[in-house]
Amino acid sequence: MILLVPLIKVIVVVLIVLGIVSYLVLAERKISAYMQDRIGPNRVGPKGLFQPFADIIKLVLKEMIVPENANGFIHALAPMISITVAVGALAVIPFGNYIVIGGQKISLMVANVNIGVLYILAMSSLGVYGITLSGWSSNNKYSLLGGLRSSAQMISYELSLGLSLVGVLMIDGTLQLDKITMAQSAGLWNIVYQPLGFLIFVTAAFAETNRLPFDLPEAEPELVGGYHTEYSGMRWGLFFLSEYTNMIVSSALMVALYFGGWSLPFINYAAMAPNLAALLQVITFFAKIGVLIFIFMWVRWTLPRFRYDQLMNVGWKIMLPLAILNLLGTGAVLLLVK
Amino acid sequence: MTNNGNGRKGPQLTLWEKLYFPEIIHGMSITLKALFRPKFTRQYPEERWVPPPVFRGRPVLVVEDETNVERCVACGLCARVCPSLAIQVQAAETELDKERYPELFEINMLRCIFCGFCEEVCPEEAIIMSKDYEMTFSNSKDAIFGKDRLLTPASQLKDRLEFLKQYR
Amino acid sequence: MPKVTIIEDPVSGKSKTVEVENGTTVIRAAAKVGVEIPHFCWHPGLSVAGNCRMCLVEIEKMPKLAIACATQVADGMVVHVNSEKAVNARKAVLEFILINHPLDCPICDEAGECNLQDYTYSHGPGHSAFQEAKNKKPKRVPLGPNVVYDAERCILCSRCIRFMDEIAKEPTLTFVERGDRVFIDTFPGKELTNPYSMNVIDLCPVGALTNREYRFKSRVWETSSTEAVCTGCARGCNTNVWVRNNEILRLTPRNNPEVNNYWICDNGRLNSFKHVNSAERINSPMIRKDGTLQDVGWDEALAHAADALKPFSKDEVAVLGSAYSSVEDNYVLQKFAKQVLGTANIDFLKHEVAGDEDNLLIRADKSPNAFGAREVGVASPKNVDASRIFELIGAGKIKALYVMDDDAAISKEIEDLLAKLDLLIVNSWVSSKTTQLADVVFPSATFAEKYGTYVNFLGRVQLSKPAVSTLEQERVPGRFNMSRLDNFGSAFDQWNKGPRRNVRSSWEIISAIGNLLGGKMRYQSAQKVFDEVAQSIPAFKGLSYAKLGERGALLVEGALGKKSKQEALAR
Repeated sequence: MILLVPLIKVIVVVLIVLGIVSYLVLAERKISAYMQDRIGPNRVGPKGLFQPFADIIKLVLKEMIVPENANGFIHALAPMISITVAVGALAVIPFGNYIVIGGQKISLMVANVNIGVLYILAMSSLGVYGITLSGWSSNNKYSLLGGLRSSAQMISYELSLGLSLVGVLMIDGTLQLDKITMAQSAGLWNIVYQPLGFLIFVTAAFAETNRLPFDLPEAEPELVGGYHTEYSGMRWGLFFLSEYTNMIVSSALMVALYFGGWSLPFINYAAMAPNLAALLQVITFFAKIGVLIFIFMWVRWTLPRFRYDQLMNVGWKIMLPLAILNLLGTGAVLLLVK
Repeated sequence: MTNNGNGRKGPQLTLWEKLYFPEIIHGMSITLKALFRPKFTRQYPEERWVPPPVFRGRPVLVVEDETNVERCVACGLCARVCPSLAIQVQAAETELDKERYPELFEINMLRCIFCGFCEEVCPEEAIIMSKDYEMTFSNSKDAIFGKDRLLTPASQLKDRLEFLKQYR
Repeated sequence: MPKVTIIEDPVSGKSKTVEVENGTTVIRAAAKVGVEIPHFCWHPGLSVAGNCRMCLVEIEKMPKLAIACATQVADGMVVHVNSEKAVNARKAVLEFILINHPLDCPICDEAGECNLQDYTYSHGPGHSAFQEAKNKKPKRVPLGPNVVYDAERCILCSRCIRFMDEIAKEPTLTFVERGDRVFIDTFPGKELTNPYSMNVIDLCPVGALTNREYRFKSRVWETSSTEAVCTGCARGCNTNVWVRNNEILRLTPRNNPEVNNYWICDNGRLNSFKHVNSAERINSPMIRKDGTLQDVGWDEALAHAADALKPFSKDEVAVLGSAYSSVEDNYVLQKFAKQVLGTANIDFLKHEVAGDEDNLLIRADKSPNAFGAREVGVASPKNVDASRIFELIGAGKIKALYVMDDDAAISKEIEDLLAKLDLLIVNSWVSSKTTQLADVVFPSATFAEKYGTYVNFLGRVQLSKPAVSTLEQERVPGRFNMSRLDNFGSAFDQWNKGPRRNVRSSWEIISAIGNLLGGKMRYQSAQKVFDEVAQSIPAFKGLSYAKLGERGALLVEGALGKKSKQEALAR
């Protein structure tokens, strides 16, 4: 029983998230098309709704080519690291409060760790291994450059990412995401207290997920795809999956930290039947994630890519000082208030 | 941040622009508006485009309707002017008044760049650009169009012939 | 000697002064200082007609413009080639000529090498004041078996008429009719069958006279032209070989005042390259296995030939060189015979057709290099000559024969003799009776596929360049003259699909066998072979490819053998 419930949770979460990911790909293609006065994929199924299946079938059936002098083992390992880490981070996301089955309260988190935020940060920094290793093992200069850029970028932005979070943690005094959510459902959302921190966090999150305008590790025009130049078939598909999963994790983290998680203002879940409340909470949570992911895509199809030196400038000379400033400011205000 | 990496000064930005975020919002508002603009995508295989006479499609050889003889005299100027060396002509003698005709006329459509030089140089208005833009081949041999695929009756090329008469 | 001043550029007025002999015409004096005066009817090899009026120039102190082709120089004469008057006059002349000349350059074979086309571009008015319909005249009139006449294109320069009168000495052609109806025709009952008739095609400044065989075959700009030597007879006329798609399309004469002037005979023009394009070409080394000749690789065939030659003693082998082959081939062959095989059984077969000769170009000896083969030592009084070699074969004394680039089976008897041999090795261009009897056959390069020198019957050594690429020799700039398609086409183009044959020069084949038999014959190129010829054979002393140039050079006279000298004088 102790093992069974988490196992079911894991399976459900992974399946749902991967299902969402495949449709996120379609959503991204559609959104980009509409922003460019096009229609986008519309051939497979009604309005192109079955496109993801076609994509998946193609990826699975496609030959996985390994370059002649590549390190085969690491080449195969790298995408696995990426996807594992990305999915692993989902473990501490509170999709809702709890459901009641057979009189037993089951939390809608896979694992309620008391260092949830820290765990996510740790996982996302592990993600760089997948990219760096894939870049190195491909025996391709473009891949290698992509991998190097990725590690440099991660190091630069992880600092700001972490520091921007500390404000929230100071306000709520906990690292557990469900507790942070609870705290927000009782009062105002943290975005009200931490607008600057949020801005920094969003920016850093873009960099962490390698999305435009910070997709330097891939940078098609200069690196022909960067670290995944030499990947094809499902291995490439795994990188793709992990990118979108990372996007979900980042969005979920933002929702949980700044937008009240599954809570909605003026709605009192406690007055409802617990399972109905849980359903509403999950829907709310995913709706909020959806909005943020739309912003992710919106930004991607609007902004051009940063140059490498600009990326470093922004990271070290602007975001880091601002994050520290935000931290000091929050601390000072907290001291005054208490 | 005016240094754009290569030592030269970039454009001078105002303070508002330097704040960066307002400009991002501005850009994003543009793309957001684009989401709701009407789309012009043509549903291609169902809905085909009929090009105007100026369009330079696949080059073809004109066959006179009355006599059923191709206009080409195999002078080879098209082959000479072709920048991608796509055309090969082999002349031969004929009893007709025009004395020579192309025994072999081949255009390698993998090489053709649709520049229309052949049409422009042709002294007989014998090779002209048609409206055909749909060409697929499954091997490189199929891409070499011989006389069988190039010869086209003048009646099917009226638009282009009229256009050439008017503007050339 | 009178001095003439030629002023080409009317703007700068820069003048060139030239001193020429009395009686020289202005056009020749100008040519001497590199000034070309446009002309149609004048030809350096023919008499002056002065009927085209294209070469009008302004000469100081002359009241009217004068034609440069017929005006003789006088001391102190000042000629303005491009003064306003002269230029306008030439424009008018061109406009007149073009009144009735059809603008059918796309159809006309001359396009690209047409004087009228070129001059119309460079000197023409660019428009015409005449809007009337052009004259209709007979087209596609066969004047003879090889020449087709188009009266509409004819500008009536009379070069062809004068050629038949003056050079071929068989007046066949004449003007008929008058005014704008005039055209050229043969005299009644006559046909243009003279052995030199096709020179009128080259002479024609427009496309009125065309080569029936070459007609519509190719455009001039698609072909490459290579300086070669005609191998049709011992005259060794200088030629240009025109190649497209690695196939020889035509042969035209190249001016060499020491040999053929501007002319070539029809037989040489039409037939001397036929064997290069022939479908009978041998395309691979062959070895007789189980009674039939079978294709093998070069290395195998060379090793087989060397092994097969080993058991025979020096008196049991004989070698036949070839007067069709180059000096280089024959030199390497005789070196092979004398130093490697150690035999004196070496000669070449003569190919003389008694009586088939004339005073202009055609020689009775139908091979281009008999003189050269003799001089390098393939034939000499010290050697056993060909008739004796055949006798010895008949007697069973000679058991092995090496034949280079020739069909030794000149008669039924000799064919039977060849069948008696224990070993017959043949280098050949095409399959022949000899190759059918051979035990080893090597495909060898023709004159058009290799660098080679030929010594004509006057002792003039002339260099012929390769025009056709072989399987082992890519068509590369530097070695070959390139056409536009050769330069810019890729290996995947249709026009590059012409046959490239698996042949080697005879000197390459023979030196390879010689080396396998322990000889020291390591040559990198025909040029290196010739350098050795120049060092070791006194008659060739001091000669090199660079020295031969475009016109060739005479053998060193004092060093010639007695017999050959007599022959040279005999003409």
